[in-house]
Amino acid sequence: MFKDLKYKLNEFWSEFRKVKSGVVGLVFLIIFILMIIFEPLISPFPEAGKRWRDITYWEDNSKSAPPVWTNLFTSKKYARSETLTAPIENVTDNGRVKITEYEFDYDYKADRPPGDIIFRTEATGNLLFITEIIRPDGETVSITRNNYNFSKPSNVRIALSNDSKNGAYELATKFDKENTLSIPKQSIDGFNILFSKVQENMASTHDPLKGTYKIKIRILNPGSTGVLENPRVIVSGSVSGILGTDNSKRDIWSGIVAGVKWAMLIGLLTSALSVAIGVIYGVISAYLGGFADSLLQRIYEIFVSMPVLPVLIVLGAVFKPSIWIMIIIMCVFFWTGPVKTVRSIGLQIKEETYIEASKAIGASNTRIIFKHMIPLLIPYSFASMALSVPSAIVYEATISMLGLGDPSITSWGQILQDANSAGAVIQGLWWWVVPPGLMISLVGMTFAFIGFAMDKILLPKLKTR
Amino acid sequence: MYWKYALKRILIAIIVFIVIIFIFSLLFNKVAETTLKGQIDEIVKAEVLSMSKNNRNIDIGEYRKSRLEFYYKKYHMNDSYVEKVFWRTYDTVTFNFGRATNMKSSRGSDKVVDIIAEALPRTLILFTVAIIIEIILGIWIGLKKAQKAGGAMDKSTSVATMIVFGMPSWWLGMIMIMFFAYVLKLFPSGGMHSVPTPEGFAYFLDYVYHLILPVFTLVLLGFWGNAFLTRNIVLGTLQEDFIMSARARGIPEKNILFGHTLRTSAPPIITMALLSLLGSIGGNLVFEGIFSWRGMGNLYWSAVQSNDIPVLIGNLAVTTGIYMIGLVILDLIYGFLDPRIKVGG
Repeated sequence: MFKDLKYKLNEFWSEFRKVKSGVVGLVFLIIFILMIIFEPLISPFPEAGKRWRDITYWEDNSKSAPPVWTNLFTSKKYARSETLTAPIENVTDNGRVKITEYEFDYDYKADRPPGDIIFRTEATGNLLFITEIIRPDGETVSITRNNYNFSKPSNVRIALSNDSKNGAYELATKFDKENTLSIPKQSIDGFNILFSKVQENMASTHDPLKGTYKIKIRILNPGSTGVLENPRVIVSGSVSGILGTDNSKRDIWSGIVAGVKWAMLIGLLTSALSVAIGVIYGVISAYLGGFADSLLQRIYEIFVSMPVLPVLIVLGAVFKPSIWIMIIIMCVFFWTGPVKTVRSIGLQIKEETYIEASKAIGASNTRIIFKHMIPLLIPYSFASMALSVPSAIVYEATISMLGLGDPSITSWGQILQDANSAGAVIQGLWWWVVPPGLMISLVGMTFAFIGFAMDKILLPKLKTR
Repeated sequence: MYWKYALKRILIAIIVFIVIIFIFSLLFNKVAETTLKGQIDEIVKAEVLSMSKNNRNIDIGEYRKSRLEFYYKKYHMNDSYVEKVFWRTYDTVTFNFGRATNMKSSRGSDKVVDIIAEALPRTLILFTVAIIIEIILGIWIGLKKAQKAGGAMDKSTSVATMIVFGMPSWWLGMIMIMFFAYVLKLFPSGGMHSVPTPEGFAYFLDYVYHLILPVFTLVLLGFWGNAFLTRNIVLGTLQEDFIMSARARGIPEKNILFGHTLRTSAPPIITMALLSLLGSIGGNLVFEGIFSWRGMGNLYWSAVQSNDIPVLIGNLAVTTGIYMIGLVILDLIYGFLDPRIKVGG
């Protein structure tokens, strides 16, 4: 039995190998499976799947930043993300106040300033943080003062971008009073001025000033009881990651990677379950014949007469199902796919002499159906399964696109829904719109390649309509 | 006996439609009832308010109660569960969908029927235009493929078929809008006509102008499948004996392809074409939303967003109806073209 199976598999493989598109599909499938297995390694944010809607997990990224590699194609380079550690530390303690001074060197080589600069540390005690940036030309711009009082170790996060407006405005006023005053303070971008050369009209035209910026954080601690640990500066670049970020600062590549397993699960589970049901249903209908057959065919007719997607949408809107319920609902409509073909094949098999023989011996109906008829249909079932995977994935994506997706998972459809409702198309944030849909299409293509290749091998024997 | 076959097919379809609506009523009875109750409450509140303004010496509590009772009776709210489901089925089958909770048609009517009647022709126009182009292109390319099966053209288009196999039409729509409407600025990004709307012949041109991009997107995705299927069907026919005998008689290859082959292959090709039309009505709901094409698909979208249950359920019933009418027409045409079908009934 086992040897027989192995022989058959070998025979199938030697035929499958000849169909080039099938092999390409198989390679893609293996890539997707590898992506699922190595998700923690290839994703820069390994918890992306679990904390996709947790804004604190993403807060150190820039908003709507294009992918890093776009720098290769633009003449104006965007600043990249980096983390600055190991500052020059300077502690003075006069008994009443302890002053800790951290100085980070940020080497700015790009043409467009970073999205944000964030100072982070774990701290305890009553602390006053005074932040300044010293530019390469020697100008000192004071950014912000923050006062914290922590009784137990807490995270301190000071983001400089928003608070840099005042300092930048002051800087611009100092060198070019007339032109700067004509621009309202709220409309300027602090970092644009801060990282630009001093020149006329500097509040509106920006020439990058490259060089080493010193980010200086002075921490005043009255009573000298405070503790500061792990001080670091995170420069969140104006380009970010392999596929950029969305407008909630989420890394799209991580979302895409987290979506692979859900797409595969939805596609494979739905198609496996529904094809299994459909094949068994078709065979039973063909084998029993007579009244049972016509009854089963009427039921089948009711199901094929329903437009699947609209029904799914209304069910989704009314019951707000979880992804597991959604898969079951999809199975309820997808099983009809193979029934017609299976029934006509079943009608042929039924007339074979060995079926008659086993009937004569007294084999039960269940035994004949499951032991003698269904095994013959397994190759067809696999082809039909592969071909129904894409539609399951597209349907889930479509339902998510309407905002009816399961919020506890990260699916490509949901990323696209976020993109659409945030107006990514109008703003031209292509790195947010293209990848999720491309992945849906690629998975669809993969299974189409495999399915059509199997069909090609099986068709000469099983051509029906 | 064609009419007998047709009558039987139509009768079965009507029965199936009623059964489906019955299933929907079972599923959605509870949520539809909650919505209806909310609507009745509001109507009664308004009535009581106007009553108490005009008439001081009336027992408001009593009046309110009697009005509620009147409406509950009118909408069969006090009946048993089974009766309620039957009444709901009856209402739906007779196109009596009730009132929308917060959506309105462009003329200001809040009747679900009016809202759907307004959206229906727009959907039909968009998809019929796309499908006609798809079918013509599909058959033409399919024939070309079949003529030189295994050639470079055949292979490349087959691969293209598989590449677009799992591509969501609405995603391609987003990409097309991004590229053609915002980068190249060739076409409008959506909607059905410009503001202000031109009149006369210019209105028609404007309409076509807005139709181009969505239709182009649909065709770009759709015709591959048609071409692939046409190729397979035509290839099957080309191997038949009568084609060989026609060739032996010296009939030009062109005549064989367009006369003999295409005629014999017509029934399955038409099935395929109509099925893809039905599939696209059912499957491209979100597509309309992307292009702000205010048809039935967009109606689903906005009904989901404003949580308008009566519109959703009414729209579902109408979509199912259209879908089934399509299936019936398909069978009737098929039976007409292929006399063998009728015998099997």
